[in-house]
Amino acid sequence: MGMGEYVITICSGSNCEGRNSRALESVIAKELAKRGLADTVTVSVSGCLGMCGKGPVVIVNPQYTIYNYVTENDIPEIIEEHVCKGKPVARLAVVEDHLFNRFYRVFGDVKFFSKQMRIALRNCGIIDPENLDAYLSVRGYEALAKVLTNMAPQEVIAEVKKAGLRGRGGAGFPTGVKWELTAKAKKEDKVVICNADEGDPGAFMDRSAIEGDPHTVLEGIIIGGYAVGAKKGYVYIRAEYPLAIKRLERAIDDARKAGFLGNNIMGSDFSFDVEIKLGAGAFVCGEETALIHSIEGSRGMPRPRPPYPSEEGLFEKPTLINNVETWANIPVVILDGAEWFSSIGTPTSKGTKVFALAGKVKNTGLVEVPMGTTIREIVYDIGGGIPNGKKIKSVQTGGPSGGCLTERDLDTKIDYESLAKAGSIMGSGGMIVIDEDSCMVKMAKFFLEFTQNESCGKCTPCREGTKRMLEILTRITEGKGVEGDIEKLERLGNMIKKASLCGLGQSAPNPVLSTIKNFREEYEEHISGGKCRAGECATFLSYEITDKCVGCTSCKRVCSAKAISGEPKKKHTIDPDKCTRCGLCYSTCKFKAITKLNDRRKS
Amino acid sequence: MVTPLELIKKKKAEAINRIINDGYLSMKRVYVGMATCEIAAGSKEVMDVFKDAIKNGVSGMFLSQKGCVGRCNLEPTVEVVEEGKIPVKYVKVTPAKAKDIIERHIKKGEVIKEWTVQ
Repeated sequence: MGMGEYVITICSGSNCEGRNSRALESVIAKELAKRGLADTVTVSVSGCLGMCGKGPVVIVNPQYTIYNYVTENDIPEIIEEHVCKGKPVARLAVVEDHLFNRFYRVFGDVKFFSKQMRIALRNCGIIDPENLDAYLSVRGYEALAKVLTNMAPQEVIAEVKKAGLRGRGGAGFPTGVKWELTAKAKKEDKVVICNADEGDPGAFMDRSAIEGDPHTVLEGIIIGGYAVGAKKGYVYIRAEYPLAIKRLERAIDDARKAGFLGNNIMGSDFSFDVEIKLGAGAFVCGEETALIHSIEGSRGMPRPRPPYPSEEGLFEKPTLINNVETWANIPVVILDGAEWFSSIGTPTSKGTKVFALAGKVKNTGLVEVPMGTTIREIVYDIGGGIPNGKKIKSVQTGGPSGGCLTERDLDTKIDYESLAKAGSIMGSGGMIVIDEDSCMVKMAKFFLEFTQNESCGKCTPCREGTKRMLEILTRITEGKGVEGDIEKLERLGNMIKKASLCGLGQSAPNPVLSTIKNFREEYEEHISGGKCRAGECATFLSYEITDKCVGCTSCKRVCSAKAISGEPKKKHTIDPDKCTRCGLCYSTCKFKAITKLNDRRKS
Repeated sequence: MVTPLELIKKKKAEAINRIINDGYLSMKRVYVGMATCEIAAGSKEVMDVFKDAIKNGVSGMFLSQKGCVGRCNLEPTVEVVEEGKIPVKYVKVTPAKAKDIIERHIKKGEVIKEWTVQ
């Protein structure tokens, strides 16, 4: 792909498709074939290109010429004039200078990217993150200039509200409402905070956003400061992200020198500065009140709300806290407009969401898709499906606070409400694909181990409850589960959710409860069936040597438990009582003479 | 008085001018992924190959770092972008491949198809 002289992209977003954009595909193919161009021109079908009012939309690259209202009758002219003669068809072309989807010019012809829409990550991987000129050349700081020139603070807030942007940290609180609450707080001295304390295992959206395009995040923060009337901003970022910190420091320095930070920004009467605060990497510090305590120099522990930070936050000042991805959306909301922004997504969730796609999927990576994209589209169209011909079992979203969806939920459209309805959460954007080789009990145990470790210990339900749940899960995976354990987990889990002080405890049982709900039979098999169907829990495995054994003795030599006996050149045997089920003999045997059973009863 | 909007348009024009003076339009632009993930996959060594080439007099190359575009399992990634042509996207680039990309693509204009993203 991408080898032809031209790439023709056809939008297949629902609006364009409704106007018959898919019919264009065959006409284009026919016209190209007629001219013998079928091999040199690449035709790609994209997801929504974000120009819904003008559909069907066709883009011809490399010039990124956008054709709108394209009909089948226009195709021969586009192919003849533009592709054959190199002259774009002015009659159909439309000039757009959107901020979103800039990456399309470079990556639009690759399937992994063509179904994505990029707003927050629009410059990531496209420009030099340490060069202010590169950011300025893609309309950097123009959104800030626009609000300082033409918009009163309340107009900025109104625009963010109208856009329908919601918090990308996971909870989905309407951003504009948060801004309004902070702006209306009575105390004069206000602060804004960027929460870059990304802590979900396997999630790296915020790191990539800051490393790839730090000025975008910074510009968002400055605009937020202007809107709520703050003079000071903080970026709370974990010390484990040294490169992100370095690039952010550089961006802040460059912005200060250029007059985008400091006193009288761009000659206006608005003054604002930003400071970086490093966190030590405690998961709980992503919770806003714990984060505030950490910046203040106290131990990172949450406190009950209200008062909410918008009333009384950092150093008792009214405080606006947004996540990195939320901030990165702000310049686009301002320049491409609330009206456009709210045209993308579902009725309740607007814009896009970044996911860190990982696990048993062919193409792992960072994915930004419009809200309303189905999980199936992410896993199969973008992720390329499950490798090695395995079957999909589950998709985990929301990290240690989220839940496991089943194959039945694959057509769930991604937005805050529908993910919650399906039993998971949007979360900050972790998405882990799980195939049939993974044990759901072990998966739940992994996440609970994480939250149990990260529990700050302040409130009893979270501190003690997660510990007890983990003990039960551990004994289940060790084959020592007893009747009633599942019910105990459910009772404990629901209690912890209700009684915990902060979001960490309130969501910690989710991975366990959702796997019990969707994969209860796996728990039951572990407890009373003596079996782990995925073959992951070693205690349920048994190894046997078959008649294929030639007596090479290599298994006997690697077995540290001395469970294998036998004379050279004669069939060996395994003593199940001594066997620790490490699997080393199984992987060592060159003759495939050792069988693995994942059902203890059958052995 | 100059409004912030007028000011930023001027700054943008100046920035674009500086970039063009550096050869943005006239040369082959080489973008090497330099996020934490890319560096972990070995992109720093790849970057060094391109830097050394420029030091040793290879011309016609506008070298830039870039952040992570999100294609984790294909890193390190390098794009060669030429005005008016479809950008060429190399994946899993090693220092040895980088040397070849300089010899064959940068110097002779040959796209090494088998190393590009599929």
